[in-house]
Amino acid sequence: MKVPTQRISTRALTLWRLYGVIQAGVAALLVIGTGITTYLFDWPLWPLLSVSIVLAAIIILNIGVIPSVRWKRWRYEVRDQEIELQYGLFIITRTLVPMVRVQHVDTEQGPLLRKYKLATISISTAATTHKVPALDEGEAEELRHSISSLARVAEDDV
Amino acid sequence: MMFEPKRLHPISAVINFVKGLKDAILPLAAVLFLNSNRGEGILGLLPYLISGLLLAFILIGGIVKWIRFTYWVEDGELRMEHGLFVKKKRYIPIDRIQSLDFSEGILHRPLQLVKVTVETAGSSNVTEAEAELTAIHKEEARQLEHFIDQIKHSSGEPAGEEDQSTRQLVYKMGMKDILVMALTSGGAGVVISGALVFLSQGLEFLPVDAIYDEMIDWLQFSFLFIAVLVLLVLIIAYGISVLLTVLRYSQFSVYLDSGDIIMTRGLLEKKQVTIPLNRIQGIRIDENLIREPLGYATVTIISAGGSLKNDSDQTLRVLPLVKRSDMQKVLKSILKDYELNLPLNTPPKRSKLRYIARFIWFPAVLSSIASAMFFPLGLLSLLLIPVFSWLGYMSYRHAGWNLKGHQLTLIRRFLVKQTYVMKKYRVQSMYKGQSILQRRTKLASIRATLKSGVGGESARIWYLEENDTHTLLSWYSHE
Repeated sequence: MKVPTQRISTRALTLWRLYGVIQAGVAALLVIGTGITTYLFDWPLWPLLSVSIVLAAIIILNIGVIPSVRWKRWRYEVRDQEIELQYGLFIITRTLVPMVRVQHVDTEQGPLLRKYKLATISISTAATTHKVPALDEGEAEELRHSISSLARVAEDDV
Repeated sequence: MMFEPKRLHPISAVINFVKGLKDAILPLAAVLFLNSNRGEGILGLLPYLISGLLLAFILIGGIVKWIRFTYWVEDGELRMEHGLFVKKKRYIPIDRIQSLDFSEGILHRPLQLVKVTVETAGSSNVTEAEAELTAIHKEEARQLEHFIDQIKHSSGEPAGEEDQSTRQLVYKMGMKDILVMALTSGGAGVVISGALVFLSQGLEFLPVDAIYDEMIDWLQFSFLFIAVLVLLVLIIAYGISVLLTVLRYSQFSVYLDSGDIIMTRGLLEKKQVTIPLNRIQGIRIDENLIREPLGYATVTIISAGGSLKNDSDQTLRVLPLVKRSDMQKVLKSILKDYELNLPLNTPPKRSKLRYIARFIWFPAVLSSIASAMFFPLGLLSLLLIPVFSWLGYMSYRHAGWNLKGHQLTLIRRFLVKQTYVMKKYRVQSMYKGQSILQRRTKLASIRATLKSGVGGESARIWYLEENDTHTLLSWYSHE
């Protein structure tokens, strides 16, 4: 089976790295806090050490590795009859959603997403919801229109 | 008829009260028992005062609820209004009503009354209570049902007047099946835990300290005594659970009636559930570890009903217990286009070890911790590993899938062997998952989601041949 064609915006990469930086910032505050208390109250070294390891892991994984792997994996394709998604870090999932099953399409945009002119689109069926994160704003808008016009609502079955 | 606003039968005040009492029984017991040996004078009376007030409150609440509740049919809507200070109105367009479910409790039956639950189509708000008429006359319920039928069918062909006669019995559960079901059900566990809670409450009540001294002499004897007592409690609890199940399921029958499946059951409390055929999304066959060796299975309908969520599994069991060998024939008479006993495609040999590994890693971690902490005795926990390996192996053995025309069958097992049968046009979405490790060995898992109640229900099989998952995906693909 061939892989879906579309990729998500490259700005997603920057955004996900930014999330990583924020997480690292929080962890760094924790490290500083633990460092100070260790110094003041003669704590043993292991709390400081473990917090530092967590910080290092966040920097390497959440800023370095994960965003790029995630971005590389993310593919989607909207065809006349169905939507296909592919994503995942360790477990690569492929999801098929037929157009006739789609009940509604939403786009959402948090403050950070807005700053980067990105939007997340979520496609809901009667039982499941599927999200495509960090699409280009214009593209998401277009996609929402095209999906909702393609999705014919079947009358008698859910 | 029913175009005037009217009240429910007065007995519903009593039913409201009983229901309120049932909800309040735990706080009441807590107030009465837990505080009973504290405080004197006025303070000592406080618990009784509080519970008395609570009781009065519940009683008045039940009556007020009955007085303020009115319902009628107007403009093609079933309208209900209730509420003391804030008037709440609920108008349900009749063509949105999916079905009416009837149930008759012990209070209903002598008065020819029935409780009506209104099932609406589509995803309603789960937290909101479903529309319910606590007690109305049977005759009235029948009229309402007839009326709804008329409105719903008026768009199509003029509905035939011979509505009563079309109901056709397709399955009746035998007494033997009901007994087997009762004997093998898990209900005993529930009753036992209830009894234990009751016992522990009761112990607080006894003058334990005084008895204790005498008991110490008895101690030698009492081990045996307690063992016998526990056994007795278990047997009685089991008996009660069996009896309850038999009462609940006796005269279980399934009817077909112009596009609906109607299930009725119960000896003391009668229940009737209606499932429109076009809301059925698929079926699930469950075989648990006890019933499978005996050759029995349970068939449940997966329906896109609105508010059935709470006890959906109970109510949607179209065949609560059926001999595996009869199942095909019986099911055929209820749901014509579902085929069972088809040849299966199974996961490849190389996934056998993966299934086993999937099952034992967690018990392995647990038992190694236990072995380390409680050294000699903890080693016993290693016994978990062969048990779970066996479960993993069984899970591998029974997993399988079949495609036939528009029908997909998926079989998986954890403790219970579950067979999902579904139609292509009912599957909401399909999913293939493959971890990085599986990618090298060309294995993948597959998952299909159906709509069930207000949510979804998924069937998933692990470690299939990757090409098989592609076959399944392209079967599902609409391109």
